[in-house]
Amino acid sequence: MALRVHEPLKKKDALPRLNSIIRFDSLPVGILGGSGAFLYVLFIGLPVLALLVRSAQHGDFLNAVTGDAALTALRLSLVTSIISMSIIILLGTPFAYSLARSNKLWARLVDNLVELPLVLPPVVAGVAMLMAFGRNGLVGSNLESLGIIIPFTTTAVVFAQIFVAAPFFIRSAKLGFQSVDKNYEDVAQTLGISPRRTFFRITLPLAAPAMFTGLGLAWARALSEFGATMMFAGNLTGETQTMPLAIMSAMETSLEGALALSVVLLAASILVLALLGLLTRRRWQNL
Amino acid sequence: MAKPVNPENLPEMSAKGSIECQIGSFSLSTSWEIETGEVLVLFGPSGAGKSTILRSIAGLLRPLRGYIEVGGQVVYDSDNRICLPAHQRRVGYLTQTYHLFPHLKVAGNIAFGLSDQKSEATHNRVQELVRLLQLDGLEDRFPWELSGGQQQRVALARALAPYPTMLLLDEPFASLDSELRRNLHRELREMLIQNPVPVMLVTHDREEALALGDSVQVIDDGHVLTTGNPLKMLGQPGQGRVARMVGVENTFDLTITQRNPIDGTMTCSGQGLNLEVPLDSHTTGNNTPNGAHNRVTVGIRASDIIISKDDLIGSSARNRIEGHVISVEPRPPGYTVILNCGTGDVESLLHCHITGSALEELEIKRGQKLWAVFKASSCFLVDAYEQTTPI
Repeated sequence: MALRVHEPLKKKDALPRLNSIIRFDSLPVGILGGSGAFLYVLFIGLPVLALLVRSAQHGDFLNAVTGDAALTALRLSLVTSIISMSIIILLGTPFAYSLARSNKLWARLVDNLVELPLVLPPVVAGVAMLMAFGRNGLVGSNLESLGIIIPFTTTAVVFAQIFVAAPFFIRSAKLGFQSVDKNYEDVAQTLGISPRRTFFRITLPLAAPAMFTGLGLAWARALSEFGATMMFAGNLTGETQTMPLAIMSAMETSLEGALALSVVLLAASILVLALLGLLTRRRWQNL
Repeated sequence: MAKPVNPENLPEMSAKGSIECQIGSFSLSTSWEIETGEVLVLFGPSGAGKSTILRSIAGLLRPLRGYIEVGGQVVYDSDNRICLPAHQRRVGYLTQTYHLFPHLKVAGNIAFGLSDQKSEATHNRVQELVRLLQLDGLEDRFPWELSGGQQQRVALARALAPYPTMLLLDEPFASLDSELRRNLHRELREMLIQNPVPVMLVTHDREEALALGDSVQVIDDGHVLTTGNPLKMLGQPGQGRVARMVGVENTFDLTITQRNPIDGTMTCSGQGLNLEVPLDSHTTGNNTPNGAHNRVTVGIRASDIIISKDDLIGSSARNRIEGHVISVEPRPPGYTVILNCGTGDVESLLHCHITGSALEELEIKRGQKLWAVFKASSCFLVDAYEQTTPI
């Protein structure tokens, strides 16, 4: 809209060539952009459509979804991801806040470390956790002597989910906190509100939309977690077999079962997307 | 101006302090004392350290050393290691861009500093301020739904709600148009009569300083240049740095030719002019009374000059100078007429402010001969620019 103000200047030779460089509405760009968008929609939409069509063609969709194995996997996925998200929110929020407000060297170093799990292949993460917490791992053997066994348990599933999902939340929450003008906090304190209460009444509500975005991404990532779980937690029905692992196992016996579970996971992903959109809508802003 | 109705019943509400700050290579040193209901204007260019002073008083910045007293309570004292956190100081702080909390409605913003958000007392206090600042009907709006002037009033109401013992205003009217600003000046004055607190106001607008200030402190580069009556300080500033800062339109470097102690005036010449100005006895003299180097700088405000078509013979004004019009420039709401009053080859430009109707009545044209008339007391002596020792 603001660009439209300059339109009278766009007449021939009114401006040097720079003007033509920043024009995005030229014909080649339009064609490339349009065809790119079309291909992308096709590329994503076709497999999703195929999944729905195929699973609908198989008659016993309901049976497959409400089957014991499916329900067990679904319940495990939900329970473990909720535990993971709770831990990520409780520990990640203060962590993200200190990252956002600190300029110290340690904060910048840790800041880079936060993003490591984003680029690390999940399988490698699983192997690494096995080396740390496994029976012969660096701390695993000590933990075992205390009676604590982590690998190939439900705890390991939670560990794997936190490992891969936490960066999404921490990154987003940090950006959210950074976007809160420090002056709001200053003004709140001159109004007699202590720093702790200022955090809950000003900083947190203002950063909340970004935190919800991060939470949505982290949750989706935790639900779809496969590689690290496989390596570190295994594939034990009822204990470590989450939805993605159950889908892989089902593929070996019946395609219908795998299809049904996939549709359920797809629905869960779409639900997360929808919730995310709902929670990040800022009612106080003119959007 | 706005004295409390009954001073005996009020606790000591004056504010005073003296601090030194150091931020990087910038150092600041200042002191102040403000009676309740009075406005001290901190006047100076950007980067002079005005906001640093406010932030120190509010408790958002820790000075290097000094003490700060607000409402009879010492909130900062480096000698006794006292430094109350901002939320225990009860100081209202208004920023230039208001910083209304975007996730709260108007009522929520005003009530923010009150203890119980839902109580009857809170509701009553909010309503009281809504009426005082004419915000009726806006309680359920979000900040982005308000105009600039409304936002400013909400911010003021929010700052006043918890009964602050002092008010700090950091260029609160800077982003408003001039008519709205004048209205808010009047409202702030009325508000101070009803809620007398000491006020410190930062501005670099001369009109605002004159309209609101009971006293003014001119600050530049972290140092107080002068403190005193706004009309005196900003109207006829005695220091070169202050004069440049407030934009004194006419300054002339002249030589004293004759002293008339009986009239309390002296005659100064130079640049093709002969001016009668107040005697210099009160100024810090580098001018020995009858010495050879009687050089002075004389300032005259453009608004103190009367323009006349004919010589006003028989008037009491001691200075009547003939000149011809060089140019006329619009200066809303009026005009600036620039006269060349020099003789011969010497050019001496005199800026005079007049209204639009005066311009029409006198039918002023370029090259026209006019008389500039002003009293001796409209002239004031300005220190030479080199002499910029802070007091």
